[in-house]
Amino acid sequence: MPSVNGADVRKVVIACDAGMGSSVMVASTLSKKLKKYDVAVVHMPVNEIPADTPVVLCHAGLADRARSIAPGAVIVPFQMFMGDPAFAKVENAIKGGGVLES
Amino acid sequence: MTMPDALANKNVEGSGVRARVQRFGGYLAGMIMPNIGAFIAWGLITALFIPDGWLPNEDLAELVGPMIIYLLPLLIGYTGGRMVHGQRGAVVGAVATMGVVVGSDVPMFLGAMIIGPLAAYVIKLVDDAIQGKVATGFEMLVDNFSAGIVGGAMAILGRLAIGPVVDRLVEWVENGVDFLVDENLLPLASIFVEPAKVLFLNNAVNHGVLTPLGTIESQEAGRSILFMVESNPGPGLGILLAYMFFGPRSLRPTAPGAIIIQFLGGIHEIYFPYILMKPKLILAPIAGGASALMVGTLLDAGLVSAPAPGSIFAYFAVTPKGGYFDMLAVVVVGAGVSFAVASALMGFGRGERDEEPALPEAAAA
Repeated sequence: MPSVNGADVRKVVIACDAGMGSSVMVASTLSKKLKKYDVAVVHMPVNEIPADTPVVLCHAGLADRARSIAPGAVIVPFQMFMGDPAFAKVENAIKGGGVLES
Repeated sequence: MTMPDALANKNVEGSGVRARVQRFGGYLAGMIMPNIGAFIAWGLITALFIPDGWLPNEDLAELVGPMIIYLLPLLIGYTGGRMVHGQRGAVVGAVATMGVVVGSDVPMFLGAMIIGPLAAYVIKLVDDAIQGKVATGFEMLVDNFSAGIVGGAMAILGRLAIGPVVDRLVEWVENGVDFLVDENLLPLASIFVEPAKVLFLNNAVNHGVLTPLGTIESQEAGRSILFMVESNPGPGLGILLAYMFFGPRSLRPTAPGAIIIQFLGGIHEIYFPYILMKPKLILAPIAGGASALMVGTLLDAGLVSAPAPGSIFAYFAVTPKGGYFDMLAVVVVGAGVSFAVASALMGFGRGERDEEPALPEAAAA
């Protein structure tokens, strides 16, 4: 199981099917929250996640696909596009240096 | 009749099948979606300058034909090639696409979606085969001519073999779609489209299939109802309104924000989780979408180009002159029926304990 310490995370990838719609929306909300920790938030299609990506956030319905494309990445699935606990989990791990696991 | 279908899809969840189907669909949509801006530019120019448009203008209307016959397929072939083999794949894909475009009577979207990636795959094989074997100083010469030769050869193959076959294929599909529309069977599409949508096949269905077909129809008839099959913001609005009034109390406050993002912003994904957590609600968008398509078929409603994202603003922008009532009827009926069915399925809020909605597995992961 891939895992990463939140304190080492410098970049978070938000993935959706096309990389143009929901991921852009999630990325713009999350980047405001993570800016102060000097963490970049980018969005892209699931099919184009680079293999060396450390942390990927995507909807639970796309998590299998994300896993097959970036097997080494910590995949954090979420259910709701706004206010999902997964977003707070990632933010807290980055802030406090907790471990994130797939 | 419809439930088993929705449930069957639900059961696929988690296995590799769903991921594979999504992935294939992702490739189809991935060739179209980056180019939606060009489809919209074509749609706006068409709506404005054709003889029965807003500002008829013969000179500017000359843009319409070449844009749909050459520009859009070439962009698709280019993008498809780029997905397979970067910039070189893109160039070879675009060259090869010319082969299927020339000599065809219809906009060759399907042909471009086949030959673009195929040609890029061929140049990828060639590149892999000669990698490291080229004498120092001859790299550029070899690279340029291998791309030129493969591109040219694929264009010839496209013109002589692939183009005619795809042409015939498109003709069959068009006849099939015409049959569905003429026999008022199009509403049945919702039975498949709506469940596929919430399983994140929305882009694959809409842009992988409906956008190319709709654009071909629109070029001939000035409008197409196919653009409204998947992208109608009405059914999703109905679901979210039902949640706002009758949903679990903990979720009611989230609905208004979701409505803005879905109905005005056009990001439909926002409502999928509201269905995935209560799967029987899939009946609501199926009923809403089918009713909307029934009304749309009867009114002969349609849009000029792809409303993407499926926002009500995008709908207004691509509605043909004189088609506003029809368009609004489709959206309002979709929203109303979907709202009624979703509200009934949630018992109009009666007896709704403030239970935590049963999130599918992995929620807490």
